[in-house]
Formats: sequence, C-alpha cells, structure tokens
Amino acid sequence: MKVAVFLPELLRHLFKKPATVDYPFKKLTVPEGFRGTPFLHPDLCIACRACERDCPAEAIVITQESDVEKKFKMVIHNDRCIHCAQCVDSCPTNPVKAMDMDHLYELACFDRHTLKTEWVFTRATPKREPKPVPAAPASDRAGIPAK
Amino acid sequence: MKFNIPIGPQHPALKEPISLRMTVEGEVIRDADLRLGYNHRGMEKLAEEKNWTQNIYLVERICGICSHSHATCYVQGVEKLMEIEPPKRGLYIRYLVSELERVHSHLLWLGVAGHEAGFDSFFMYTWRDREVVMDLLEMISGNRVHYAMNTLGGVRRDLDEIQIKKILDGLVVLRQRTEYYFKIGASEPTFVGRLAGVGYLSKEKAIALCACGPTARASGITADVRKDDPQAVYDEVPFDVCTADSCDVLGRTVVRIKELMESYKICEFLLRNLPAGDIAVKAPKKAKPNEVVSRYEAPRGENIHYIRSNGTERPERLKVRAPTLANYPATIEMLKNGFIADIPLIFAAIDPCICCAERTVELVNARSGEETVVRFGDLRKLAGERFAKSPVKRNAVWPF
Ligand code: SF4
Ligand code: SF4
Repeated sequence: MKVAVFLPELLRHLFKKPATVDYPFKKLTVPEGFRGTPFLHPDLCIACRACERDCPAEAIVITQESDVEKKFKMVIHNDRCIHCAQCVDSCPTNPVKAMDMDHLYELACFDRHTLKTEWVFTRATPKREPKPVPAAPASDRAGIPAK
Repeated sequence: MKFNIPIGPQHPALKEPISLRMTVEGEVIRDADLRLGYNHRGMEKLAEEKNWTQNIYLVERICGICSHSHATCYVQGVEKLMEIEPPKRGLYIRYLVSELERVHSHLLWLGVAGHEAGFDSFFMYTWRDREVVMDLLEMISGNRVHYAMNTLGGVRRDLDEIQIKKILDGLVVLRQRTEYYFKIGASEPTFVGRLAGVGYLSKEKAIALCACGPTARASGITADVRKDDPQAVYDEVPFDVCTADSCDVLGRTVVRIKELMESYKICEFLLRNLPAGDIAVKAPKKAKPNEVVSRYEAPRGENIHYIRSNGTERPERLKVRAPTLANYPATIEMLKNGFIADIPLIFAAIDPCICCAERTVELVNARSGEETVVRFGDLRKLAGERFAKSPVKRNAVWPF
C-alpha cells in the first residue's frame, strides 16, 4: 500500500513563491474589458432614457431640470449598481457611447450615499454634437425606440 | 437512545437555507426530515416586474457559482418565445463560457470535498488552479463571478485571436493539473479510504428519487441534458457522459474529475471550430403570448426554467427549478444509515452552495429535549477523530 503520494508535491511547494499577491500593497491589473463603474459623457447624451429603462438595478435616474432649456440631470446610484454594463449596451449614441465603464474596483466606502454620482447637462443634438458622426436626431429617440 | 439533530434553517453548507432534522442512534443516522422555504427571496415575483432584458441579470443572481447556467437557461427559453435564432458564433461563445463555468465549479467542488475529507492541501491546490479559469472568464466577460455574457439573441462580447490563444494555453495548464489530481485520487490511500462507501445511493433509488447531475451519474445513470436533449451546439460537439458505478462520494468525485476532462475537450472543440460572423441578433422588446420550458445542464445537474409570456415587455410567470432542489430527496436517502461525522461530506457531495463561514449544528436530546450546539469546526474534528480510529478500508480502491 502506498503512503503519502502527495508528499513530493507538498515539498516542492516549500520553495515556491506564494500564489497570492500582497493585496493592499500590490495590485493586479484588471483585464481590458473589465466592468468597473458606469459613467456618463454628458456632452454626448441625448437623454433618450434607454439606459434608465434597461438598468436591472434601477440605479440610473434621469430627470429634466427645466422644460425650456433641455437641461437634464442624471444620477447613477453606485450603491445599487450591479456593474452589468447593460446601460452601455442600451445606449444608442453613435459612434461613441454616451455611457461608458471605467476600470475602478475599489469602491467600498463607509456611507453608501457618497457613492452617488451625478451630471447636469444639456441634451446633445446633432448641431452641438462635437463628434464627426452626428448622433441621431433627439426627436426620434425621445421615447422608447420603436420596435 | 434516539437523538434528533437539526441542521439549519440557517446553514451555510446549503445553497438555500433548509432545516434538516436527523434522528440518530448513537453515531448512526436512522432518519432525516427536510424542511424548505426559509430563504424566499421573491425572485420569481420580482421577475414579473422587470422587462425581458433586466431579467437576464436578475436570474443570473439566483446562484453565485453557476450564474451563467441560470442566465443561459433563461435566454434559451426567451429566445424561443421571441422566435429569434442567435448566430452560430454567439452560441459557440455562450456554451464555451458554460463549459468554463463547469470547470470552475467542479474545481471548486473538488477543493471543498478535499477540505471536508480533511485533505486541506488538496483544497489549497485545486483552488489555486481554479484561479486560472477564473482569470480566463474575467478576461472574456469582464467579471469573475457574474459574467453577464448572455443577451437575448446571442452574447455581448466577442473573442479575438489573442483571447482564444490565451484560453487554449490556460486549458493546457488545467488539463495537466486535472490529470495530476486524478492520479492523486487514484493513489492517495487516505483520500480514497475516506470517500469510499460514504453516502451510498443505489441506482434504483437514484432513479426513484429523481436525482440529477453528477449525483445521478455517480450512481450509474447516464442522464445529461447535453446528450439527452442537446441544446444549440451540443449535438455538434463530441463528448462523453461520465458515469461511475460506486454510488458513493468517491464515485461523485470521479465523475466530476472526468467531467472536467470532457469540458476541456468541449472548450477546445468550440474554440478550434469557432465560426465567423455576428455574435448576436437584435431581439424584440416584446414576446408573443406563449409558454416555454427550458432545460440546461448546470454543473450541479439539470436546471429548468418555465417562462410564460403574455405579449408585453415582461414575463407573466417565471419558475425556476435549481438542480440542488432535485437532489434533496436523494440526500435524505444518502444520509440514512450513515454517520453524523459524514454529514458534511455527504452534503458537500451533492454540491450545494458551499460557504466558507463557520457552521453550527444543533444536537437535541430526544428524551430530555436538551440541546447542545456544536460548531461545524468541531464536527469536522469529530469526523477526523472517527476516521483516525476506524480501521483503514484497505480494500477501497479508486474505481478506474
Ligand atoms: S452597470 Fe448595470 S446596474 Fe449599473 S447602472 Fe449600468 S445598467 Fe444599471
Ligand atoms: S444617450 Fe445613452 S446615456 Fe444618455 S439617456 Fe440615452 S442611453 Fe442613457
């Protein structure tokens, strides 16, 4: 009967470097497509509310500040966000999405209310569109895109 | 003298908190009684309030380990309701992630089995190697746990050449390590001795009690949804259903290690034959009134989603049957005539969601009603002691 077949492997590991990293002092780099925290490019947003409608956590709230000025306010409640990036997928602006994800992953804090981020912006229209390819006219997108 | 031991309702060894009341005579369990329903999260009701897209992320959160299983089962069904056909490439990537998830889940289980059997170095090494597949999944999908790869009509992210190369390289490492673990399993006498004969579930009982997944396959039943009712790509992929005839925890270990090897094979096939083209088609916002049952072979067994639509943006009903539920009746059977010290091992063997928290077991004296609380760590110590004292099962062999 064999005994301690695992022993050579155990001994070999005595001379190996640890498999873990010394976390708070050393950090791993996250991969290219990592889903961190969502953020808005306020100059691109056409306020179509597609992201608000599809967000599974109801973490995005868009309100209109004043009727005349087309001023909108978007609040992302990062304490509720589940980092699924559906808002990025739903965002219809072209070629650059108004909604984007960064690579942050150290989000813990003592007060969940400080996790809120907000933007007040004027709705982007083809004329003000700073990008070479203009976004679709806002009037087409005001409601839920026709399906 | 008979004792009653309740386990749960709050018990981190179980995926859903359940209450197990065991009648013991000395060390031997004579009867077990099971009560469910302590962890009602209201997810099925919540699903009726969310639209089809939002629900993908909701069902993904039913389980942390087989998150992709629930999401895939759900989108399979909804795609049928919406009458859309995802492109080939999308399907290949979807089921590639499925298989990678199976790999990570089985490696996790191997570690847990090692831990419960008192083989902690085995646990450390399998979990270290599991990081390889976790990193691959993070690279593909952008997250380690909730991959969020599925969307209605395909997948959300494509694979490029560099990623395919990295996955293939990772699979080589994983295959090497799995072969080594297979060898260790076969030749480490203490490990085999601890697992052999524990939690016996005969083939007849497994059929009668509707066991599923590796639990059923370890009792010699060739039941695997991927073969019996092939979803999407599985009828194109060559693979074998792994079974064992020993009907005990050892068999369940062997089945899972063999399934790991099959999963590597499937992943390699999918990567080498990845068709070109789109990864997703556009899905409508609404589904016509209809109903569908979707089946999927999750790492723990058959996962079933029943979805009914009523022509709106939201499902009218979503019913989820997770594989652990199907294995509960079989668990009762396995526990009977086993030892108290084997409870952790038998539970671990059906692979409920294992949490690494400290666990508690309550011992109730049936006559006096006197209760003692045993920490799970002590229970494990008890298990170790019993095993140290018991004669070595010299005739126990790795079945292959
Ligand atoms: S990442 Fe997901 S949860 Fe977070 S804001 Fe976007 S859609 Fe909502
Ligand atoms: S443009 Fe994009 S970010 Fe702005 S409201 Fe629409 S979906 Fe949201």
